[in-house]
Amino acid sequence: MKEDTARLVEKLCIASQGDFGSPYEFAWPDRLPEDAWHFSPELLSTAGTPAGERLSPEETRRLSFFEAVNFFSLNIHGERALLEGLAARLYRDDLYTPYLHHFLDEENKHMVYFGTYCLRYAGKIYPDRKMALPRDYAEGEEDFLFFARVLLFEELVDVYNRRMALDERLHAVVREINRMHHRDEARHLAFGRRIVAELFERHAPGWPAEVLGEVRRSLPEYVLATWKEYFNPDVYRDAGMLGPHDVAREAFASDAARARRRDVSGPALRFLVSAGVLEQEPSL
Amino acid sequence: MKSEPEVRTHLARWVAERSRSVQAEEISGNTPILERRLITSVQVMDLILEIEQLSGRSIDVSRLKPGVFKDIDTIYRNFFGGPSS
Repeated sequence: MKEDTARLVEKLCIASQGDFGSPYEFAWPDRLPEDAWHFSPELLSTAGTPAGERLSPEETRRLSFFEAVNFFSLNIHGERALLEGLAARLYRDDLYTPYLHHFLDEENKHMVYFGTYCLRYAGKIYPDRKMALPRDYAEGEEDFLFFARVLLFEELVDVYNRRMALDERLHAVVREINRMHHRDEARHLAFGRRIVAELFERHAPGWPAEVLGEVRRSLPEYVLATWKEYFNPDVYRDAGMLGPHDVAREAFASDAARARRRDVSGPALRFLVSAGVLEQEPSL
Repeated sequence: MKSEPEVRTHLARWVAERSRSVQAEEISGNTPILERRLITSVQVMDLILEIEQLSGRSIDVSRLKPGVFKDIDTIYRNFFGGPSS
């Protein structure tokens, strides 16, 4: 374990003890007003696409509710996988157990408010379509990929959280969920960047070229797969849009969506380039 | 909904277009599409969306048994009305 990471972990543990969001003190209205916005219009998956331009302001507002349910649903699925992975790595002497405890604790709390919003206001959580296929790993590869994927997932989510926490057009409940999530995620991202760089430095020199090549191929693929979850046909169907699978495909392939992917994913991908993990920023 | 041969042909073409290493005609019902890495794990998500569109039914991945995307025979049995494997 590296000394500078250990020092960072110590600081993060102190910060987590004194500043964590409690989902149990949340004031949940029984129902949200019909005319409320739930997702920033500029961040909607259809923003700037032909499908989005065909929607009336009222239909766009309705879509914003289902996009929020999808965003919170995919957070639940991402955090469930994260909890499993963190729990499996507790008390390993080559990782940082005291902080993994905080990480686990905080992620569990996030799922409470994401799940409450989805179930209380939509009566459901959208199903997960991501599927991990089992395979063999080189020494340290699975740990590295686990933390690298967690970091990529959380960096994307955090951009949305930061922007929506400040968006006065959104209902206060939605803003508060985004604000609380960002508060904890800022620490997780600091830890994530450090552990990803450390694990890569520790293990990559021992990997055969084909393992390193596979790692470099799989991470941009993971980012793309994560992005595809933001274009969910179930959302478009629930919002009353025709041809939901076609809408998903067309919106994903649009120039506006590609520009948004570059904008939102850019900092995380540039970090991986600066850490030597990726050779160049991939096009998404 | 498409007939069984149409669904099978559609799926073989879909896999071949993504693999770029085989032609659709080379993919039979029992060609192991994941084991031979004809598609990647990321493309499994696209495959799920394609199956949903073809079958008109949503798929909840958390309820799937391992191996349901092994080959086209297995996909057909599990998602297009045949008996599950």
